[in-house]
Amino acid sequence: MGRTDEELVEACQAGEASAFDGLVARWEDRIRGAAFRFLGSEEEARDVAQEAFLKAYRSLAGFKREARFSSWLYQIATNLCRDRLRRRKTRATVSLDEMEETGSVMVETGPGAQDRLLQMDLARTVRRAIESLPDEQREVVILKEYQDLTFLEIAQALDVPVSTVKTRLYRGLGQLRLRLEREGVRGAAPLPAPAP
Amino acid sequence: MDCERTGDEGLRADMMDVLYGEADSAARTRVGEHLEGCAACRGEMAALRGVRRDLRAWRVPATRPSFSPRGVYLPRWAAAAALLLIGFGATLGATGYDSLRRSLAAQEARAADLERRHQEEMRALQASIARVPGASFDPATLLAGIDARIDERLRESESRQAGRVDSRLAGWQKQVDAQRRVDMARVAASLSYLDGRHGQQLARTNELMGYVLETSARKR
Repeated sequence: MGRTDEELVEACQAGEASAFDGLVARWEDRIRGAAFRFLGSEEEARDVAQEAFLKAYRSLAGFKREARFSSWLYQIATNLCRDRLRRRKTRATVSLDEMEETGSVMVETGPGAQDRLLQMDLARTVRRAIESLPDEQREVVILKEYQDLTFLEIAQALDVPVSTVKTRLYRGLGQLRLRLEREGVRGAAPLPAPAP
Repeated sequence: MDCERTGDEGLRADMMDVLYGEADSAARTRVGEHLEGCAACRGEMAALRGVRRDLRAWRVPATRPSFSPRGVYLPRWAAAAALLLIGFGATLGATGYDSLRRSLAAQEARAADLERRHQEEMRALQASIARVPGASFDPATLLAGIDARIDERLRESESRQAGRVDSRLAGWQKQVDAQRRVDMARVAASLSYLDGRHGQQLARTNELMGYVLETSARKR
């Protein structure tokens, strides 16, 4: 059985540099995935993941293990994404449409082309809806929906109270619901109330 | 129909816990009791579950890892830049080699042309010498004559230099001899002077001794 994050971190801090390999192998895909959803760019997501691990490795000696390593790593990655998003405001950005045209979007593969087209259309709509959210809500939605972090982990990663995380998520989901309904996405429509 | 507890943050938090499976039994009970009597919140919970299903449509493309303990994978732009650099370098190298090859070939052609022109000039010169009546041209003979003249000049020069050296040595020898004679004369004069003083001193001493002996004899 593999070592836990805490054990790997402790080994790294004790001088076993190779233990960091285990942390990278465990978290690299998820950090890159989060960065991709924050930034909408595969290249930038890879850069951010790389930079986040480098930062974590350099700062590992000072990591006090009060929070989970994953939360700390997500915090680093989230801050890197925020920096990039801030810089984007002053220059041209890569649009979601552009990324979709280059094939960066992966959707559910169905048995037929029509299903794939429908999935691509839904994926595009979802991306646009998420992109339209305020930054605070978008971060929480991404970390919860796509990274499957607990509320506590998200709170640690974003350095906010758990109650704030839940409030932001609730509002974010509400915004997404409205947006998706406007786009005609059926899943967001309320299901018929069960018979009493 | 709206919920009577629309602004209840606690209920919303409980609903989020239930929606994401993080609710404890107490929270599940609270939410369940509320949903039984609130159609708006039941509809909202159902809608939020639908939103969660829709959100799954957006997937992250699977790519190579960006960080490796044994190295860092290049982003696409960096890889493209590297390829461009390699291509540029290869092109530059090929161009440079081709340019160097062309330059060498041109130099070779120029050298061959120069050699050809020199040979032509040499042949023309030989032909013009041959046209002079009674003249003959033999490079070996010409060079031998030049060498002989050079050797003769060298010998004459060496002879002149040797003569000048001998003359200087003879003059220097004369000066040394004259100086030696002068010095010897000075030494002789000094010795004579010393001898003279010594003689006077001796005579005076003898005179004093005679006087002392004479005085002593008279006292006795």
